[in-house]
Amino acid sequence: MRIRTVTMMGLALITVAACSGSSATTAPASAAAKSYNLTLIQGVAGDPFYVTMACGAQAEADKEGVKLNITGGNKWDATVQKPVIDSVTAAKPDGVMVAPDDSKALLSPLKAMSDAGIKVTFVDTKLDDTSFAVSSIATDNLGGGTLAAQTLAKLINDKGTVLVVNVDPGISTTDARVQGFNDEMKKHPNITVLDIQYTHDDPTAATTITTSTLAAHPDLAGVFATNVQNAEGVATGLKQASNTVVKTIAFDAGPKQIEDLNAGIVQGLIAQDPYGIGVAGVQQTVLALKGQPTTSVIQTSLAALTKDNVTDPAMQKYLYKASCS
Amino acid sequence: MTAVRPSLPESIRAALAGKLSPVAERWKSFSQTRFGSVVARAFSTNAAWILLLLVVLMWLFNFLAPGKFLTEFNVRTMAVNVAVLLVIAVGETFVMATGGIDLSVGYVMLFAGVTSAQTMNWGGRNPTDSGWDVVLLGLAVALGSGLAWGILNGILVAKAKVPALIATLGTLGMSWGFAEILSNGQDIRYIPSIIGDMGSARYFFDKIPLVVIVASIVAIAGAVVLSFTKFGRYTLAIGSNQEAARRAGINVDWHLIKVYAMSGTLAGFAAFMSLAIFTTTTISGHANDNLQAIAAVVIGGTSLVGGVASVAGTTVGVCIPMVLFSGFTILGYQSFWRDVAVGAVLILAVYTDQLRRRRRERR
Repeated sequence: MRIRTVTMMGLALITVAACSGSSATTAPASAAAKSYNLTLIQGVAGDPFYVTMACGAQAEADKEGVKLNITGGNKWDATVQKPVIDSVTAAKPDGVMVAPDDSKALLSPLKAMSDAGIKVTFVDTKLDDTSFAVSSIATDNLGGGTLAAQTLAKLINDKGTVLVVNVDPGISTTDARVQGFNDEMKKHPNITVLDIQYTHDDPTAATTITTSTLAAHPDLAGVFATNVQNAEGVATGLKQASNTVVKTIAFDAGPKQIEDLNAGIVQGLIAQDPYGIGVAGVQQTVLALKGQPTTSVIQTSLAALTKDNVTDPAMQKYLYKASCS
Repeated sequence: MTAVRPSLPESIRAALAGKLSPVAERWKSFSQTRFGSVVARAFSTNAAWILLLLVVLMWLFNFLAPGKFLTEFNVRTMAVNVAVLLVIAVGETFVMATGGIDLSVGYVMLFAGVTSAQTMNWGGRNPTDSGWDVVLLGLAVALGSGLAWGILNGILVAKAKVPALIATLGTLGMSWGFAEILSNGQDIRYIPSIIGDMGSARYFFDKIPLVVIVASIVAIAGAVVLSFTKFGRYTLAIGSNQEAARRAGINVDWHLIKVYAMSGTLAGFAAFMSLAIFTTTTISGHANDNLQAIAAVVIGGTSLVGGVASVAGTTVGVCIPMVLFSGFTILGYQSFWRDVAVGAVLILAVYTDQLRRRRRERR
């Protein structure tokens, strides 16, 4: 027992000495300027939207010969993403593409990242303050909301009660979608929009909200789900309630949503082009690193997918993947 | 007489013993001195071994990512990112020392953040330029909200005899629900700029963030209270044997209410710190803060059934998951490996603590 204590303490002293010694050394300056190190910080890991974005980013990174690291928190949560952002800053990549989980809470860590000399590009979501970013690349979410409202209005014959199932306030993308939807619905006087419901990006919450709303409003005509997770939850809720009357428009076209579209559980999907966002993100960051001019705002395209056009070859790029292969 | 050949581990041990015995002899005589015995006692606590684990992890990550992990920037940001959790975990240490558990901490924090921010936004005026009077009012409301939920927890556990797990699970739901109702599901994004400035302020040659200093003060105060005051002694006594404590004349019910109230108030304070760091409420966050705090407390050597607790251990316990998190992210490993690593370390830490405890009891 004595021996073990002595050995352990010796180890402790050695580690303390090693710590103070090695923290004095600095990393050697990066070698060839060509092989940049980029990192993609997803909004949340595991979401088909961000997986597809990572696939696009990886493909473009391979094409341009730069290294790409992909990371993200396991929840859509600014308090979880802050340590990720701080650690990525400490790892000193040359450029970072990031989808911030909150447009205000993450200003200070991202500003610190930019102040450290790292090129910051916003992909999908962005901060309220984009002055220090190389570029902000997103879908025209406002237009997407408008398109969703128009499609839903047509599906429910321009009258009835509709529900909006949103994620959280303060997320730039979903806020814009809801705004577009509400502005368009104001032009349809026979449609009543119920109070907006929030799910915190939790599909089970979306399911509960759907079934409770159906119980409270049996005449519910339509639902607008503002992202993948919500779309999944709403579809489950409708299946549980064995409801085939309610028309659902969902944002995002993950593999499960395409299945639901084909099965008739969801009637329309507003699909973004996350692959394109990933590609553009890498392109803009590399341009900035090479000192070439960049485009400060890029809006990528949207498509309204229905059962009829989902198999069109032109629509294939709008279908999200669950994995890159 | 046939000689029995010693097995391999035995022969290694013998060789090692041979090499180290002069060192062991020196250690033995050292540990009998006054200073030496303090050092020896320190190393018999769990906190020291957990600290050793933390040092080893930091050395390991520094070795794997030189110039990136042990930089001033990264150490500082890691410290800021654990500051809020540390404050909650200190309160949780006291609760678990009594043999109880407080699952409501993350959500009470949420509630306190909402009430505090709303108070500072009262009357619809933009609070960004508000003065210290508004800030102090916000702080008071945050502490008060936390205190209120803490007292409720205490009454449920002590008077109504609801098991702590269930009682705090209930208040978890209620405080979350009320937070959502009060805020209408929307984050309150305007807070006095004084608070945001405090969140990014640094002292001591611009190196140590204010939030880290504040969290350290809370931890030190907690350690002192637990080890050197009557309050702390009563807490441990109740955890060790509640009935014996009652018969010894301790007002167990009242003390339990005080302990849970303390946990709630610290959650309220943590909420104010979170407002300072993020400059907005974070209603969708804090979902796992309760479990992270409990994990930190357990890694630090506090017993799940009470009676043994260490705030120093909790402080180290809070750092280990953050070090793993940061190290894995810097090294570029897939996010989910981080979660695997933290879970494994938790189990390992509790297992070794149990081993040591059993060996101590056997002797």
